[in-house]
Amino acid sequence: MSDDQPKQYDLVIIGAGPAALTAAIYTTREDINTVLYERGVVGGLAAVTDVIDNYPGFSNGVKGLDLAEDLRKQAERFGAKIELGEITAIKDEGEHKRLQTDSGTDILTRAVLIATGSDYNRTGIPGEEHYYARGVHFCATCDGAFYRDKRLVVIGAGNSAIQETIFLTRYASHIDILVRSEVKASEVLIKELQPFIDSGKVSLQLGITPKEIIGDGQVVNKVIGSNKDNQDVEFITDGVFVFIGLKPNTAFLAKSNVKLNSVGFIVTDANLETSVPGVFAAGDVRSGATMQIASASGEGATAALKIREYLEGRLHQTELQQLEVMP
Amino acid sequence: MVKNITIFTTNTCGYCQMVKTFLKAKGMGFEEVNLDHEPQRRAEAHRISGALTVPVTVVTKTDDSQEIIVGYNLAKLAPAVN
Repeated sequence: MSDDQPKQYDLVIIGAGPAALTAAIYTTREDINTVLYERGVVGGLAAVTDVIDNYPGFSNGVKGLDLAEDLRKQAERFGAKIELGEITAIKDEGEHKRLQTDSGTDILTRAVLIATGSDYNRTGIPGEEHYYARGVHFCATCDGAFYRDKRLVVIGAGNSAIQETIFLTRYASHIDILVRSEVKASEVLIKELQPFIDSGKVSLQLGITPKEIIGDGQVVNKVIGSNKDNQDVEFITDGVFVFIGLKPNTAFLAKSNVKLNSVGFIVTDANLETSVPGVFAAGDVRSGATMQIASASGEGATAALKIREYLEGRLHQTELQQLEVMP
Repeated sequence: MVKNITIFTTNTCGYCQMVKTFLKAKGMGFEEVNLDHEPQRRAEAHRISGALTVPVTVVTKTDDSQEIIVGYNLAKLAPAVN
């Protein structure tokens, strides 16, 4: 094959989080020629989570980075190849799907698994973009270390917000959690947070809607929120961490025929197949996903088995066609 | 030509791991400054990058010019080390 011909695979998995890596473990064990494309971090959001306490098999919890590393090693042990790069478009050519990469080369594959996961939403309030990485952050495990003995604001009320707040207590002198309505995290996490509330290190600020992040142009110094009476409330801080839900990484599907729901998650059938035959989806990017690492791994395994059925079906169809044209 | 590479990291940073994995795959050596082990160097990382985040990768060329890559940004990192 010359260098300018597209590489060909049985399966391209877009993403390398828990759903993707689990699927790769299954498909490579069955000698399905599989490659994964990851534009961000191998392990996905799991890899930037400090400790994961609800993934089965780890009685004392597991560090997100360690889980990601072990999943990667397990998939690679069976022959999975992980390419660091981005798939920018999918074109359905029937028997094959043509994928465009950010390096300008095309790939041909018989099946695709989209497991691109989700990223944290932005608040969209003034100051958020200006102070990004200079006082506004979306990754506590990456950036928390810069806030030793500093005051912080965390925006959000779900599991991620509470878990990341607990992580940030190892650095920060005080943390205000701004909660629009009520805390929606699991009871276990709320119990873990309680000692920090009791000691005064963490304050839950209920009924606060963030309005603006303010600084001196270089660093953040306060967040303005509005309370239930629509009055402004000021929170002095050195930094802001935002965890307000997830948005699916599906922008690259804009020109494809893969059906998305109203908020951009991929619609699949019971086989985890999308509206394009041969293109499957699993994990946090899928409409109906529960946003749990264990669920993502389960969906990855299911998708792998359904992809095998799909590939075998196609294979048999091709063999039948070949028999039909034989003299 | 690359003379040396320094990466500012922390223990828990997944994106730092990705930068290290990328450089190792290319067979490139680097010095790692782990800010959990050397918190006194946080200000240095901030001064160099203008950002309060890791990873920060400092690629020093043989003519002593430097490229600073903030975060795990392959589009900037790959050409900087080639």
